[in-house]
Amino acid sequence: MDSDAFAGFYQRSAPALRAYLARASGNPALADDLMQESYLRFLCASHPEGGEVNYRRYLYRIATNLLRDHWRRPRAACIEDVPERLLAARDGLSRIDSQAILDPALARMRPRERQLLWLAHAEGYSHREISEITGLNAAGIRLLLFRARRKIARLLRKQIDADRRKA
Amino acid sequence: MTFRTCPYEKELTQALKSGHWPKGCGPELRAHVDACGNCSDLVLVTQTFQDAQSESERAALCGSPSLLWWRAQLRRRNAATERVSRPITIAQTFAWVVTVFVGVVFVASQYRHGLQWASWWSELVPPRALHLLLPTLPIGSGQGDTNLLLLISGCGVLALLSALVVYLASEKS
Repeated sequence: MDSDAFAGFYQRSAPALRAYLARASGNPALADDLMQESYLRFLCASHPEGGEVNYRRYLYRIATNLLRDHWRRPRAACIEDVPERLLAARDGLSRIDSQAILDPALARMRPRERQLLWLAHAEGYSHREISEITGLNAAGIRLLLFRARRKIARLLRKQIDADRRKA
Repeated sequence: MTFRTCPYEKELTQALKSGHWPKGCGPELRAHVDACGNCSDLVLVTQTFQDAQSESERAALCGSPSLLWWRAQLRRRNAATERVSRPITIAQTFAWVVTVFVGVVFVASQYRHGLQWASWWSELVPPRALHLLLPTLPIGSGQGDTNLLLLISGCGVLALLSALVVYLASEKS
């Protein structure tokens, strides 16, 4: 991949990758760091064959491994120790309705659940593709996703009801 | 919590992924989603995540690709340099270990044989010749000459080794 081809690939893939990392980690600053590191490792490694679809999946695999390394570090650095209000304050994105109800719900999910939900429902990856990205068993992913979806749907409905009551 | 798959799930997932939900779907599927808990969860979660993703992507400020490209080139070059210099470092370490080992073996063997080569050396280099090199040395003091000769040759070897160490250290830095 030459410099121009990379620039095009970066423009097309970076916003989605950054969104994935920010939602899965719950920390926009960390997402920026991990995104840069993901692209650096992607450029330094030998790329898979099969064009941009495979490049993208490979990039997500690198990012997922970096996220996993981050979560394996001592608990003090874990995102689950950060209060929810700090996450909201640090996120500079505009607060539209979907995000306003999604952020509190995501904050109550486990990191692994956030990751799987984002890959399946925002990125639209199949169970097999998620399995390739995360290294988890495809059958296990099906069950984990089913549980995570049910859990977040309940939280989202609660959040929507609370917002309606406030309004 | 029971895990069961709905027969409409695949079709609904495809419709959500391609953006055909709800207008591009038939009344049967829409009626099913209203009645099925799993499918209504799927619609709610997927639509919320897709909205959040498109908003995040619009608002994302990503850095310059050329800067990343340059950093990757630098990292690749550093890795290549490290890869190339690794055998040299290993060879240097090996050479040092061999030198020290040979030195230790030599000293040990000479110690065991009572430094016989020193007498051979003192025969080879007559005290007069030594006196020419070092005028302060008294002529004819047999054992003293040998000891001094040993000391001088030891200092010479030490100086050579020190110079080599300094050279290698400066080359590495």
